[in-house]
Parts: sequence; C-alpha cells; structure tokens
Amino acid sequence: MHISEGVLSPAVLAGGAALAAAGAAIGLKKMDYEAIPRVAILSAAFFVATLIHVPVGPVGAHLVLNGLMGLLLGWVAVPAILIALFLQALLFQFGGLTVLGVNTVIMAAPALIAYYVFQPLLRQQGPIASVAAFACGFTAILLSGVLMAAALLFSGEAFWPAAQLALLAHLPGMIIEGLVTLFVFQYFKKTQPALLAKLYG
Amino acid sequence: MRRYCLTAAKKSVWAGLLLVLLVSATPAWAHRVLVFAYAEGQNIHIESKLVPDTPVKEGKVLISDKQSGKVLITGQTDALGKFACPIPPEAVAQRLDLLIVVEAGMGHKGEWLLKAEKYLPGAAAGVPAVPAPSAPATAAPAAVASPASPPATAQPVDAQALEEAVSRAVARELAPVKEMLAELTMHRTSLTDVIGGLGYILGIFGLWAYFLSKRQGKS
Repeated sequence: MHISEGVLSPAVLAGGAALAAAGAAIGLKKMDYEAIPRVAILSAAFFVATLIHVPVGPVGAHLVLNGLMGLLLGWVAVPAILIALFLQALLFQFGGLTVLGVNTVIMAAPALIAYYVFQPLLRQQGPIASVAAFACGFTAILLSGVLMAAALLFSGEAFWPAAQLALLAHLPGMIIEGLVTLFVFQYFKKTQPALLAKLYG
Repeated sequence: MRRYCLTAAKKSVWAGLLLVLLVSATPAWAHRVLVFAYAEGQNIHIESKLVPDTPVKEGKVLISDKQSGKVLITGQTDALGKFACPIPPEAVAQRLDLLIVVEAGMGHKGEWLLKAEKYLPGAAAGVPAVPAPSAPATAAPAAVASPASPPATAQPVDAQALEEAVSRAVARELAPVKEMLAELTMHRTSLTDVIGGLGYILGIFGLWAYFLSKRQGKS
C-alpha cells in the first residue's frame, strides 16, 4: 500500500498532499476531547498492522484496517492515518515524506467513503449491520487498491496491469479486513454499546 | 460485580491484543525494497529484497548516470532477486556515479548509489590491459617497477598478470564479506523502532489532548 518515493509525478504528489492536508484539517476540527484515546489507539493499531507483512502475492500484503478506522472514527481517520504514515516514513522509510500525502489519501479516502456509504446500514439491527461491517472493511481495501492504481496511472504506469495486480494482490486482504472489521464491530457492540450508539445511534 | 468482571475481561482482552500485536510484529515487516550493489572485477552485482527477506523476483533494474539521469543498462532480477552485468564502458571512461534502481511493481522501488570510486578500483585491473600492449615500455614500467632498477623486458607483463591474479583472488575472498556487508547495510526494522513509533503516536495524541483540555478549560 505504501508507494515509494520517486515513483509518482509531481502533479500527483502535490494533489495528494493538498487533499491529505484538507482532510486532516477537517478531521482535527471534528475530533473532540473524548475521541482522542480512541483515535490514538486506532492510529497505533494502524501503525503496527501496516508493518506486519504476510508473504501473499507478488509483493506481499498487510492489514491496513482503514475500513475499521472509517467505521469507528469517520473524518478523524484522516489525521490518525496521516500521523501513523508520517512516523513510518520517518522511522522505517516506508513510503516517504514526499509521498506522504498521496499515501494518506490512498488509505484514508476509502475509510471516509466506507464510513458514509455504510453508516445507514450500520445503524440497522441484526445481520444487516454485520454484513455492512464486513463490507466496510472489504470495500475500503478495494478502493485503496483502485486509488493506488489510479495514482500510478497518472504517473505513467499502465493502469490495467497495475490495477489487476493491485486487486489480485489485495483480494485475500479484502476478505481478512472484512472479517477483522466485522469482529471488532461485534465486539464493540457487545462491550461498548455506548461508543457505537454515539456514532450510529 | 458483573460490571467489575466485565471491565477486567475487557482489560485482559486489550492486554492480550497488544501482546499479540507486539509478538507478531517482531519478525515481519511491510514491503520496502532494499537494494545493494557492489562491483567485483568488471561486473556489477545487484541484490534486492522486499523487507524482511523476500527476494524481488523479476524486478525491473535500471542503472543510470546519477548526474544526467541517462539510463545505461536495464534488466531484470532473477528468482533470487539478483542481477549482474558488466560495468558499462562509458561509466568507467567518464567516472560516472551509478544510480541503481530496482522496481518491484505497484509503486515499490528501492535504490542504491554506486559511486565511481567504489567500482573503479575493481575495473582498474582490466582497463589498463587494453592500452598496455600498444605502449609497453613507456608508462607502465615507470609506475609499476620504479624501485626495481634492472629494466627487464618481461617484468611489466609479469607485474600485470600478477596484479590481475591478486585482484581476482582478493575479489573472490571478499565476495562473502561484501554479501555480509549487504546484509548489514539493509536496515531492518526492529522491535525497538516499532515501540518507539507507538510511543510517538501516544505522545502526539497526549499533547493534542493536553492542548484541547487547556482550551476547553478557558472557554
């Protein structure tokens, strides 16, 4: 999921940086005092999850948890992802500082989209909400793959091979992310109904 | 009582989750492309890996001049993530610093700068071999055999052969050391790094919470 430095064209880099900055600003505005511990924990989870690497597919895959972050955080997912990616770029040279904006958009935009699309369904009772939670994790990765392919396309790499590769590589990831999102959603529903009621009341 | 049990269970679940994350985090890392290149004799050897230890199979290799960006050699890594090619003659002639890029696809890319002085000593053994026969008596003996006064005709040739043999032997002996260096140069993410990163995240949000609480306190 992390695009390396020097792959993308300057226009894509600038666009990504602008979008990420705007999204992070909105997210920070929306982050209230009570949300901070939740944001910090999910940011930390994202930070570790994107480091754990399973050798599947051509370049390997890792959890992203962006669907889960969208589900639990909404707009605040953007600064949470931005901070984790910033530290990864700084500490491990994953991605890089110039690509930070684009990488943030690739992972945070699907989180937001999933949040808005599945919000009404997550409010429902019973199996519909569970299916929506699974779909939330699943589609977030799908959209991330598409966005990544698009970023590569605008920088000259052929779109279809890259997109197919990205989708194929992320297919196991989509299913696993869907399941993880589902389980965490169910867990919170049982143990922290107040938290979810606030978001999906 | 029930409430207490619930919170205790919650705490243990969180602790368990954290433990699982930390333990599983130790050996495995996301994909950064690592590239290491060295010259041996007249060849450039390139090794590339996706962190932690997967070779970049059939990755695209681009060797270019650092300054002009002109691509000198393109190729593909083999199943072990390795690639070897002769040092481009124009790079030797112009003492170019070579930028070696390996692309693993999907935006994954790593690079290594092979400076001119790093590969020229290796190439030097081969390069004078070309001008030496044309000008046997003038330049070469002056450089090689200055202390030895008897100007024997066979000596320059011997010195040359000797030098080549020595550099070959040294290259052979050094190859494992260079591979070891390659391993060491590849900075692997350690548990300490990860825990440090987590600390930063908590610290940043802690600061944010602090400033928010101050602002709320004022209003």
